[in-house]
Amino acid sequence: MAQSAIPTFKLVLVGDGGTGKTTFVKVSSGASWSTVSLRSQTDLVLSATLRVNSRRSTLATTLGVEVHPLSFSTNFGTICFNVWDTAGQEKFGGLRDGYYIQGQCGIIMFDVTSRITYKNVPNWHRDLERVCENIPIVLCGNKVDVKERKVKTGAVTFNRKKNLPYFEISAKSNYNFEKPFLWLARKLVGNHELEFVAAPALAPAETHVDPALMEQYERELKAAEAVPLPEEEDDL
Amino acid sequence: MADPSAALAPKPEGEEIDPQFEPVIKLTEQVEVKTYEEDEDILYKMRAKLFRFDNGLNQWKERGTGDVKLLQHKETKKVRLVMRRDKTLKVCANHHISAEMRLQPNIGSDRSWVWKVAADYTEDPPTAETLAIRFGSPETANEFKRQFELTQKINSGGASVEEKNSTEEPAEEESEEEAEKEDETEKKDEVIEKKDESPEEKKEE
Repeated sequence: MAQSAIPTFKLVLVGDGGTGKTTFVKVSSGASWSTVSLRSQTDLVLSATLRVNSRRSTLATTLGVEVHPLSFSTNFGTICFNVWDTAGQEKFGGLRDGYYIQGQCGIIMFDVTSRITYKNVPNWHRDLERVCENIPIVLCGNKVDVKERKVKTGAVTFNRKKNLPYFEISAKSNYNFEKPFLWLARKLVGNHELEFVAAPALAPAETHVDPALMEQYERELKAAEAVPLPEEEDDL
Repeated sequence: MADPSAALAPKPEGEEIDPQFEPVIKLTEQVEVKTYEEDEDILYKMRAKLFRFDNGLNQWKERGTGDVKLLQHKETKKVRLVMRRDKTLKVCANHHISAEMRLQPNIGSDRSWVWKVAADYTEDPPTAETLAIRFGSPETANEFKRQFELTQKINSGGASVEEKNSTEEPAEEESEEEAEKEDETEKKDEVIEKKDESPEEKKEE
């Protein structure tokens, strides 16, 4: 099969700050994440991006984005979303057009525990549609794991007006996190039969650990044993 | 702007709304994806949550929830641990099970284990990782440990599921004896609830 060219799509992820966009990307990529350090990570990324880009065009300087390549194995081959995450820029007002340009699909996220983030959804939708005409967009209500919910399922009506599918997700507990990607993927490749399938797991080599390394491992193991795992109350 | 939502009945899930778009690229040809698990037997499988330890930040990070499997190659008889995340089926752990690995308890949890992997093949190239796995109950966690330690014996040639082809590298005497002892006590503890998924292994006892 044509493995050389993996179909890749620019996915624009928007929504108010603090709605969990970065957590969502990290969770979806399976890349390690933690609830504690996310905010600071984003800010770090932001400053790093600004620094790195300071000698390039002014557009790049002001963008401050993190692009996460997120690939999925499907029954129609591997596909990849380049997920554009805002790196905190939304907190300083709207995003620049460069963020949206050539976006092929979008996710608008709000936080079901914060009414204002839902109220701002139409603004995000307007901005996105202004630059990217007629692309598949999904609305996601995040943090449905939180008990003190402010935006009830029935209160979410904006998506119907705009004909957008709506998914309730929890990036934290992995609930429905794959749904937006699956829906977008099906639209982008024009095939409703698309499903995620198991990715290859190559045979691992056997390793031989020398005594010095072994000692280091023992130390690291000891340290890790002493740090409690997060969310001990969750059920499996 | 007033919200008229109160009058609305509970909404259906997103699938009900299904706008149509011109596909960016049309994919019509099914692709057979090789998982490399085709040539292996499942010795053990259980739902769990996996974490990796970030040494720099001194904290655990979640890697995924899904089925952890101990897979034995049909020919080489080598056993590896493979774990995939729910739904996307992405690999979140993939390593050979070697004799020097020790499953240690994690503070504050009676249903988790911590261990060190010299080369985890989740990413390419492989990385050294400190992993932790949490199960639904202490009993399940203990059963995993028993199975894990059994596969350590298999991999070092000290035991085999079937009586053939166990001619791999000389095992480290010490660790093997230790494993055996531990294994004995484990077994006694667990006579009561035996929902063993790998009947072959019981022949060994």
